[in-house]
Amino acid sequence: MSFSRITSLFRNLLHKQRVDSDLDAEMRAYVEQVAAEKMEAGMSPAEARRQALVEFGGVEQVKEEVRGIRAGALIDQFWQDIRYGLRILRNNPGFTLVAVLTLALGIGVNASIFTLFDSVALRPLQLPESNRLLDVYQTMHGKMHRNVMGGINLSSYPEYLDYRDHNEVFASLAAYKPETRATLATTREEINGQLATCNYFDVVEVKPALGRGFVPSDCAAANASAVVVLSHSLWENTFGSDPAIVGKVIRMNRVPMTVIGVMPPNFRGTQIIPAEFWAPITMTPSLDKLSFRDMLNDDDSSWLAMLGRLKDGVSLAQARANLNVIAAQMDGRRPGRKTDVTVNTATLFGRPDMRVVVFSAGSVVLVAVGLVLLIACANIANLMLARAAGRTREIAVRLAMGASRARLVRQLLTESLLIAAAGGGLGLLVSSWTAPALVKVLLARIPAGGPWFSVSSTPDLRVIAYAAAMTILTGMAFGLAPALQATRNDVNAALKDEGAQTTMQSRGRLRGALIGIQVAVCMVLLVCAGLLLRGLAHAQQLDPGFEMNRIGMVNYRLAAQGFTPEQAAAFNRDMRERVSAVQGVEEVADVAAAPLANVHFGATFSEPGHSERRQMTYDIVGANFFSLVGIPITRGRSFTETEVKNNIPVIVVNEAAARAWWPGQDPIGKRLVAYLRQKTECEVVGVAKDVELDAIGAAHTPFIFLPATAAEQAEIMLLVRTRVPFDQVASPIREAARKADAELQIDVLSLRTNLEDWPLGPARILVVLAGTLGLLGLALASIGIYGTAAYSISRRVREIGIRMALGARAADVKTMVLRQSMRPVLIGGVIGVLICAAVTRILAKMLFGISPMDAISFVSVAAFLTAVALLASYLPARRAVRVDPMVALRHE
Amino acid sequence: MADKQTNLLQGTLDLLILKALIAGELHGLGISRRIEQITGGTFLVKPGSLFPALHRMEEAGWLSAVWGESENHRKAKYYRLTKAGERQLGAETEQWQRIALAIQAALQTS
Repeated sequence: MSFSRITSLFRNLLHKQRVDSDLDAEMRAYVEQVAAEKMEAGMSPAEARRQALVEFGGVEQVKEEVRGIRAGALIDQFWQDIRYGLRILRNNPGFTLVAVLTLALGIGVNASIFTLFDSVALRPLQLPESNRLLDVYQTMHGKMHRNVMGGINLSSYPEYLDYRDHNEVFASLAAYKPETRATLATTREEINGQLATCNYFDVVEVKPALGRGFVPSDCAAANASAVVVLSHSLWENTFGSDPAIVGKVIRMNRVPMTVIGVMPPNFRGTQIIPAEFWAPITMTPSLDKLSFRDMLNDDDSSWLAMLGRLKDGVSLAQARANLNVIAAQMDGRRPGRKTDVTVNTATLFGRPDMRVVVFSAGSVVLVAVGLVLLIACANIANLMLARAAGRTREIAVRLAMGASRARLVRQLLTESLLIAAAGGGLGLLVSSWTAPALVKVLLARIPAGGPWFSVSSTPDLRVIAYAAAMTILTGMAFGLAPALQATRNDVNAALKDEGAQTTMQSRGRLRGALIGIQVAVCMVLLVCAGLLLRGLAHAQQLDPGFEMNRIGMVNYRLAAQGFTPEQAAAFNRDMRERVSAVQGVEEVADVAAAPLANVHFGATFSEPGHSERRQMTYDIVGANFFSLVGIPITRGRSFTETEVKNNIPVIVVNEAAARAWWPGQDPIGKRLVAYLRQKTECEVVGVAKDVELDAIGAAHTPFIFLPATAAEQAEIMLLVRTRVPFDQVASPIREAARKADAELQIDVLSLRTNLEDWPLGPARILVVLAGTLGLLGLALASIGIYGTAAYSISRRVREIGIRMALGARAADVKTMVLRQSMRPVLIGGVIGVLICAAVTRILAKMLFGISPMDAISFVSVAAFLTAVALLASYLPARRAVRVDPMVALRHE
Repeated sequence: MADKQTNLLQGTLDLLILKALIAGELHGLGISRRIEQITGGTFLVKPGSLFPALHRMEEAGWLSAVWGESENHRKAKYYRLTKAGERQLGAETEQWQRIALAIQAALQTS
């Protein structure tokens, strides 16, 4: 825009009056000049003026055109539209209120879901200059034997040292174990913390509120410095805000640790699961005995997340390039392996494997709530259409006065955007209230003992931008079609009031399409809810192939709590005796991972003399495990007590594993090499029936059972079968455990909770979500169907009156009206069913054996929806036939 | 198609207005008459196209306008070429000649 154009813009906007009167004077001067010439030629003054005006062509139109080309004309018109729009909306308070409230609710729900998603997956960490804090994760391909402890994208300590020492992009790079469970001696409470390199607090740039953070000497050597930094909430809740806490010694996992600092209240670590303590990474061998490997030197373990602070002036792209070069050098020492380094601005959910889950779940939910908003938009669009019918004449007048169609569409769109803006603004308010409520509901549904999340539900700029985008989209969605439709009038017909009938048809079609969309969307949501509900009901009768009732878990983790295998063996012997002595207990068995506990052990196995190694899931069990949970041994036998006690290398495999290793042969007596602590050659003594031990639906995956020998005692927990319902013996068992060891953290739970918590929990949340959204959508759609039917009948009162007067029976009229309003419903329903057939496959994992094309769900939901739609259109139809023909004919 | 035609006409109109003002300042009616005269009566510019064009060109900085008195002693708005307007006239003349030559060449090939 040139300088003169800008000065004109200011002149036009600031001195509108003078610019306008100038224009007026200029036009007048022109006309008068022409008239004067004509008078000189001998015309009468009146005739001369008339002729001059005719030659000029409409003065007002020319003025309007000049105004139209001026700089700032658009701004000017925009203000005009807004003023006009506000006036129109003020004159229809009922319509405005309904539309704004509907949108506020729709946008509010959408924005609150997005707030949640944003705070988990998009928002940078709430730390100083967090845009320069980067998450660094690895993804490896090709040949490798990786010991995965917590996630495939984590790295090993030697790998971290390589990145730390060779990168040129970070001011400093820290690594930490994202989750470390530790039991506090004082409360027997299990807390989560992070084992971090000693520069961790320098990288996050947060100073302790009390005491100090780590110094380099804390990380000098393995177990060099038994120090710990506490979170503010741990200090407050467990240590009563003791002002003299620094310097005191607390026992964690039986290790005495000196408290050196307390972090400020808002710092909860850098992962989605908040940390309660931080200890030097060099304390791993004594604090975290979960692995038999030397974690600080093992190059093939995935256990560390990395967090770096960029140097000044270094870009994200440079960091990516540099770290990938280092990874390539490391790969050079490992032929056949290829490592990709993922570098991103640090968020609470940074790990690529977790991000995939969060993004797919998040987008499904956002789409679902977006669909409900779409239904709401269709209702408002319908209202707008009905209103446009009432404004036919106004619009025709404006078209006749020379307004262009584009100008009118713009003005009508301004009106709908005004409604949308009001709805969006109110929606943000609504979401600032619903987002925290939603967090509360979700947290309440996370199974006890499961991870709890640290999310903030305050909206940030991203949320506001999302709500704004939603607002504009909805404004266009419900405004554009009615605006185009309204301005398509035949001016002459409309002015003569004949247009109503001719345009009714196309308007009716658009309205029908809107109803169809609503019904289709409802159908999708409700069929999904129906399928999930049937899946849940089915899961209640689910037979995993082993006994779940009257079996309990006495869950403890001796390795994590500092037991050596010898101490653990002694403790387990004592525990077994004490638990067996409890009234009502029938049998007790050792197990490392309880069935369906969502704890999986993996190791590689090979046949003796073969180099090919295969990864398989295994569990460590006592000799009586199979009889206790009722898994049939189909060939051979289980381990004997003697074999277990004397460390004889024997194994039991499931049928799938037998098929995988020795198809068509007798597996008994065959041998497998297990690569565990050390390479052990084992003999197969039995085959167990395939059951859903590892996960629901995973019965036929190969599974190997190893005996719970003395060396494995620190990994063991107990399974208990009882004569009476398990709840009756839970607290005596807890009491017995306390007597065995007062410092031990222990969970006593029914085996059924494993099924309830993990596979069923998320399915329940989904059912609630899809059901609520589906019913909300259905309510909105019924209002739409009812409104459309009622409106079209009100436009046809005269026609119905004539039909009745000519002798049509009430039933015929009703059928006619019903047929008309049900047609879009049925078309929409069929489309909805087709969409469902295409998309329900993604729910397959949540259906517990119910087919994604389950006929019962499809038919019952379709029937239910049709019935509701029938009712919604029957009510206005019934009213229609009550019309008195005489009154109807006099109508209008 | 319709758009292209308008563009061409609009471009032509701008060129004619600039050319009409090269001899000195004129008011609206004067410009209209002058164009009629210099095109031998081929172009009759109606106020409906003249005034939007004048205002657009004024905002573009090619013309400046002052209020003065017309030959029959009435108030009238006079337009005058600015330096930018003279440059624009040069540019548009050159462009027009190129187009005219091109079209002529196109029409002569059979």
